[in-house]
Amino acid sequence: MNVILSIAKTTVGEAIRRRVLLVILLIGVLFLVIAPGLQTLSARQNFAVLTSFALGIIQLTSAVIAIVLTVYMIPNEIERRTIYTILSKPVQRWQFILGKYFGAIAALAMMMALMSVAFFAVFYIVQPEARSQIGNIAKGPMMFFVQMSLLAAVAMLFSTFVAPIVNMFLSGGVYLVGTLFNAVFQTISENDQLPGLVKGAAGVIYTVVPNFGQFNISNPLINPGTEIKGETLFFVQLAGYAILYITVALIIAVIVFDRREV
Amino acid sequence: MKLKRTPLIATAVSAFLGAGLLNTLVTGPHYMDQYPRALGGNATENLSPDQLLVTIAGFREMVAGILWVRADSFFEEGNYDAILPIIRLVTWLDPRQLDVYATGMWHMAYNFTDEESRSDRRYIPSAVALGREGSQNNDYTYELFFETGWLFYHKIDDDYGQAVKWWEAAHTKKDMQTARRNILAMAYMRNGQLNDTTRLYRDLLTEAEEAFEGDNVFTNRQNRDTLESNYDNHLMRMVQRGNFAQERGDFDQGLYDTKPPFDVRFSARVTVTDSKVLQVEGTWGVQPVGSRIRMVLRDKDFPNALPAQMVWDQADRVDLDPPKDITWVQDGLFVRNQRFNRRIDLSRDPTMYPFRSENYIIEFYYNPRSAPPHIQDKFGFNGEGMTDQNFLNTEIRPGTRVLYATLEITRDQLLRRGQYALDRETPIVQTKNFVAPSGAAVNDVLEVPGIRSAQPEQPQARPERPRIPPTRTAPTSTGR
Repeated sequence: MNVILSIAKTTVGEAIRRRVLLVILLIGVLFLVIAPGLQTLSARQNFAVLTSFALGIIQLTSAVIAIVLTVYMIPNEIERRTIYTILSKPVQRWQFILGKYFGAIAALAMMMALMSVAFFAVFYIVQPEARSQIGNIAKGPMMFFVQMSLLAAVAMLFSTFVAPIVNMFLSGGVYLVGTLFNAVFQTISENDQLPGLVKGAAGVIYTVVPNFGQFNISNPLINPGTEIKGETLFFVQLAGYAILYITVALIIAVIVFDRREV
Repeated sequence: MKLKRTPLIATAVSAFLGAGLLNTLVTGPHYMDQYPRALGGNATENLSPDQLLVTIAGFREMVAGILWVRADSFFEEGNYDAILPIIRLVTWLDPRQLDVYATGMWHMAYNFTDEESRSDRRYIPSAVALGREGSQNNDYTYELFFETGWLFYHKIDDDYGQAVKWWEAAHTKKDMQTARRNILAMAYMRNGQLNDTTRLYRDLLTEAEEAFEGDNVFTNRQNRDTLESNYDNHLMRMVQRGNFAQERGDFDQGLYDTKPPFDVRFSARVTVTDSKVLQVEGTWGVQPVGSRIRMVLRDKDFPNALPAQMVWDQADRVDLDPPKDITWVQDGLFVRNQRFNRRIDLSRDPTMYPFRSENYIIEFYYNPRSAPPHIQDKFGFNGEGMTDQNFLNTEIRPGTRVLYATLEITRDQLLRRGQYALDRETPIVQTKNFVAPSGAAVNDVLEVPGIRSAQPEQPQARPERPRIPPTRTAPTSTGR
């Protein structure tokens, strides 16, 4: 366990020092600061527009950070040959993978926390009548963190066998499909005119590709009168789904990395 | 510690199956339940992939706002056709935009008009469907229930039971505005629920008095005074029109304003003066100003047509492009000096009036429940004081005595084709009792005291006006 923690700590340090991540983070925070300017888009729904936009920025920025952070993690170690110094010590490959992963999500958590704090500070200033909502809105970034942990696991899995640039598109594509497909699948499954083969293929994709979309709980956070039935249970179920999928991704990553010559 | 591959694979397969089942059976369906749906499909139907992307990627409220700003600029430019798709898109992207739903309903119901400002009523079922969708998606607030009720009460101006239904639903919402609660009483009245009107006015007045006692501010005073006035008027009318007597069963014994029923002596003639140009004239024996006879010209086989109306809430989905091969013309014939005479030119709006069907019905309809109070004082709430030897109808609107007459006309007649072409034969359809008026031209001037009677270009050959009080004119001398 100490080995995993040591690798995770080192990974966090590396992530914080990477300028590209800091630039992405800075852009995200800047968007959050200017978000109140968009409130004018809707005369009566300032709260909804601001919150929706801010949560969207947090989600998008976090996804970019998660992908950029993880796709280079293992290939860089191999390319710089630093992996030899690690693996020559009493460190198993699975410990290396897990350490890297936990380090990545710890770094991600810090960056997302920073963005959330920036958003809540802005919200506190421009929405004084809705300050009591901040606790409720915080559920949004929390679920995004679970979503990004899943994305990081998927990107880490791909990073064990593809090049970083390819991985970037691959992980981005999976994230896109996993985000969009929830609604598309419903449309397909309810369309009686489509052949069974198409519906079957949609069902396979729906089952195989991680369902990232369901971690976006902005709708009930933004809109009055909408609430998640059995919210705590739903969050637990989502977390369980993420943990199961992360487990699958990391096990495959470990198996692939274990067989790989470095 | 070296991991063994077989248990790892077994664990991965188990976790994968668990995740798949959890997603398919539990979290996925549960997640979709949070999202409101458009009528007739789900929230993502008809969105292009890029719209879908921004929608689900977390920026839907922002995109909806941007689109609505764009729609506003189309309103200013008068580009009404471009607005509907944006309204639909915005309500898909953000089904919480109350203003967009309300504006969309109004736009569909009121703004698509012909050259003479008659609304294209083929849009109304879609406007109602939009209101239904909006109220379902925003059932926490009274607003869209109120707006949908208003569509029935004001635009459709019939089928008041629907207005009552929607406004009763609006009344159950916590945020229902005090000033708007009043109007449910009016809907009850027009729907023939007079005792419900009385009860609601009394309850609202009691609440208003309590509010005024609690806080002596102008708005509370104004609300109390308005309700007091409305309540008094309503009770007075029920007394004078004999409604309380009807409930007691001694209506026959008293002298009430609605007795004896007044014969309106309705007759009508429709002349097709040119292709798609009608001259509609007739008689309505009511002297006071304020009568407006509804005229509907429609396909004989118009889908879901009812006497003088259609099933307005027939649409189960919002259709931005209602069927363009059916014809529905609706107009109000304003009565002056006991006559109406109106030229209706339908030739300039071929898309609104396609005239594809072979046979048409012209309906004339008057419902005392829609009448202004000074006429209703004689006709009564339910038409007790109105009759007509030929066209009184007590069946098409149960509980109400209405006027209803129909004429049939063919496509050839309307388009002046075949035997009706080139002035060979002028198509005329009329009620059996129609008698062409003599000296019709002079009667086109409204014979009531008013500014018009002081104008110098009055016709000289004015017939005698024995029953009209002397006209008040402005003093001509400058000394007083």
